[in-house]
Amino acid sequence: MIVFQRIRAVLFYLSILVFFIGLPFILLFALGYKFNPHSLKFTKTGLIFLKTQPEGANIYLNKKLLKEKTPASIQELLPGSYTIRLEMEDYYTWTSPVEVEAGKVSRIDKIILFPLRPEFKQLNQENVSSFRFYAQAGLIYYLDEVELVVYQTDINGNNFQDVAALPENFLNIQDWDVSHDLTKLFLFNNHQVAVISLESPDIYSYSDVPVYLDYPKSKVLKVFWHSDSYHLVVITNKNIEVVEARSQSPRVSLARLKSESLTAFYDQERDMLYFTYPLQDESSGKNNLYKLSISPELYLFDIPLK
Amino acid sequence: MNKKSHLYRFLEIIPGSISWGVIIGLILLAFFNPVGCAIFIIIFDFYWIIRTTYLTMLLVLARQKLAHVKDKDWLKSCQALPCAGRFEKLYHLVLFPVYNEGLDVLRPSLEALNRSDYPKEKIIVVLTFEERNPHCRANALELEKEFAGKFSLCVSTFHPDGLSGESRTKGANATWGAKFAKKLIDQKGIDYASVVISCFDADTCVEQEYFGCLSYNFLTSSAPHQASYQPMPVYNNNIWQAPSFARIVEISGSFCQMTESMRLEKFVTFSSHSMSFKTLVEIDYWPTDMISDDSVIYWKAFLYYNGAYRVVPLYITVSMDVAYSNTIIKTMAMQYKQKRRWAWGVENFPFLVSAFLSGSRIAWQVKLRRGFQLLESHVTWAIWAVILVLIGPLPLICGGNFFSQMTIGYNLPKITGLLVNFTLFTTLVWVILSRSILPHRPKGINRLKNVLMVLEWFTVPFIILILGSTPALDAQTRLLLGKYMEFNPTQKGIKCYNK
Repeated sequence: MIVFQRIRAVLFYLSILVFFIGLPFILLFALGYKFNPHSLKFTKTGLIFLKTQPEGANIYLNKKLLKEKTPASIQELLPGSYTIRLEMEDYYTWTSPVEVEAGKVSRIDKIILFPLRPEFKQLNQENVSSFRFYAQAGLIYYLDEVELVVYQTDINGNNFQDVAALPENFLNIQDWDVSHDLTKLFLFNNHQVAVISLESPDIYSYSDVPVYLDYPKSKVLKVFWHSDSYHLVVITNKNIEVVEARSQSPRVSLARLKSESLTAFYDQERDMLYFTYPLQDESSGKNNLYKLSISPELYLFDIPLK
Repeated sequence: MNKKSHLYRFLEIIPGSISWGVIIGLILLAFFNPVGCAIFIIIFDFYWIIRTTYLTMLLVLARQKLAHVKDKDWLKSCQALPCAGRFEKLYHLVLFPVYNEGLDVLRPSLEALNRSDYPKEKIIVVLTFEERNPHCRANALELEKEFAGKFSLCVSTFHPDGLSGESRTKGANATWGAKFAKKLIDQKGIDYASVVISCFDADTCVEQEYFGCLSYNFLTSSAPHQASYQPMPVYNNNIWQAPSFARIVEISGSFCQMTESMRLEKFVTFSSHSMSFKTLVEIDYWPTDMISDDSVIYWKAFLYYNGAYRVVPLYITVSMDVAYSNTIIKTMAMQYKQKRRWAWGVENFPFLVSAFLSGSRIAWQVKLRRGFQLLESHVTWAIWAVILVLIGPLPLICGGNFFSQMTIGYNLPKITGLLVNFTLFTTLVWVILSRSILPHRPKGINRLKNVLMVLEWFTVPFIILILGSTPALDAQTRLLLGKYMEFNPTQKGIKCYNK
């Protein structure tokens, strides 16, 4: 037992020794101190943390290549300015000056390294004049104003197919959009809005007659789909009106306007129209931002249930 | 409440106050000074890793010691002693305080005694049943009948419920049994100095050589009456049948005792142990109103002999039952209650310190050292897992962006992670050692259980979370608030003793 107790005593004092010798080093490391052999003093350092997407880039600190690759932390840096260069084959080099402060982490963890030869893929198989991206539905719609055709693919360009014909003689298309339920498409020019049916894309007929909404005495500035995919919110230089997307439909004017210089955004989630409108003295260039609710609860439209 | 009672109550409040003070202080520090808290955590983590490594090495030494004396012929060694005459006169009194344990638990314990290689005519067995157990008399009758003539004596006594000055504790029952045994010894005319009493839990199964080993250590001890004799408790009776969770906890308990056996200056009796009957009578038996009878008997003797009392480790195992139930939740609850009862040993602190302060002739350095050791061990028990598991991440959570932009904020998880990984090494040592104290796989147990018994060590972090500090913190809080615990014996599992 005496031998065991002696061994135990040795282990005990050894443990104490390890604790008291190791602890200062661990604490100094944790707090970012570095022993400077020249000045024989401990200096408080900082560190740089680098994270890239993709990982594995070579790190150059002031032109010197380090062993570590991203993601990495460069420890025990004396306070000051450093230049970091990240290099990776087939990717653009990333270079930036980085300021290191004593006891602090300079965290640069949102670096994206872009490839030198980006991957291109042509999605369309026919001419494209303009397109709209519908992320939620995972679809892209293309407009060919030369051949007057609407195409549709998924977001990778697969299943390219024509889904509607554009009306002939509908010139100077200003803008267009597909309804929320993806069954209709409107397009407009200065004096006319046309609505085309996209229903049953496989069996649509080119002979389907578009719905035309005419504005002979005013100029159409903006058009939005209402969330019900049945009404349109039309902004002209004279008013803001809501109209059903069918022929000879009744029109409800919600506001009168006297200016063409407005910007507008339609929130389809809440059926809110936000638009800027000049103050009375239009020449001052000052505007107000208005919010107009177009929810069915507020305006008792006869909305057909789908 | 008189003046002494005020002091005693104050001493009861101290351990819980320190534990809660440290925990609450660290939480506040994490909010108001995360850097300070992080520094404390790093120091504590490093201290813990050094401590764990040191204790693991002691465990290896204890295991070595256990293996070293495994094949020793203790009886032959006793007979070869110059004082062989004393050996011839030596009697062993085995006391089993029984509460509600049935025949399935008691019978294997007595059978193990019967298998002992020690002369049976020198073994007196006393079963002391709690009278409030309705089956006690029938069980006593059956066991007395079954083991009649197999020992010098095998008798039962029944401890009445609600005696004045007693609580419902194991100590009260053991004291009743020991006083009953004293009458038997007086009748036989045996000198108390020639009797070694072993107070065993009802499920304790001794090894064949136990009494030989005990006798040898008693006879060769420089002051045999000023020592308790502590075997290494293992939970091998039903370890192959017990669920992983309970098994890991009990093996860890065995490891703790083996480690403690190497730290003689701190070693205190635990669970089943032995001592001189003369000493037991002189110190007036176990306290009848304290739950931690196994450790407080040591402190009573320590005070009686003015500090000249020690615990001699016996490098021989006594096997007990793993406490488990039929569902994991019930097992957890059972284990939790058992650990809380062990942690209630914190009641020794006011007992000891109040005795120190009331004119004990023990040197003040010894008082200071033993008082501090007792307090430190219980406070550390109550806070270590809380600091490692719950407070460790707090500086990062509470320090916000400011802290995470600092070097220490960046390095804290790296350093603690590194230190925690280092403990995997010590866990590997525990796995190897646990295999070495395991009994042979009984028939009917799948071979795959061998693999499970290694893999189950990966549940240690989960066990630490539940049983690491909480039972101790619970016990200390109860003592702090004066909500005293009652003795609540652990329901043991099905015993399948591996012969």
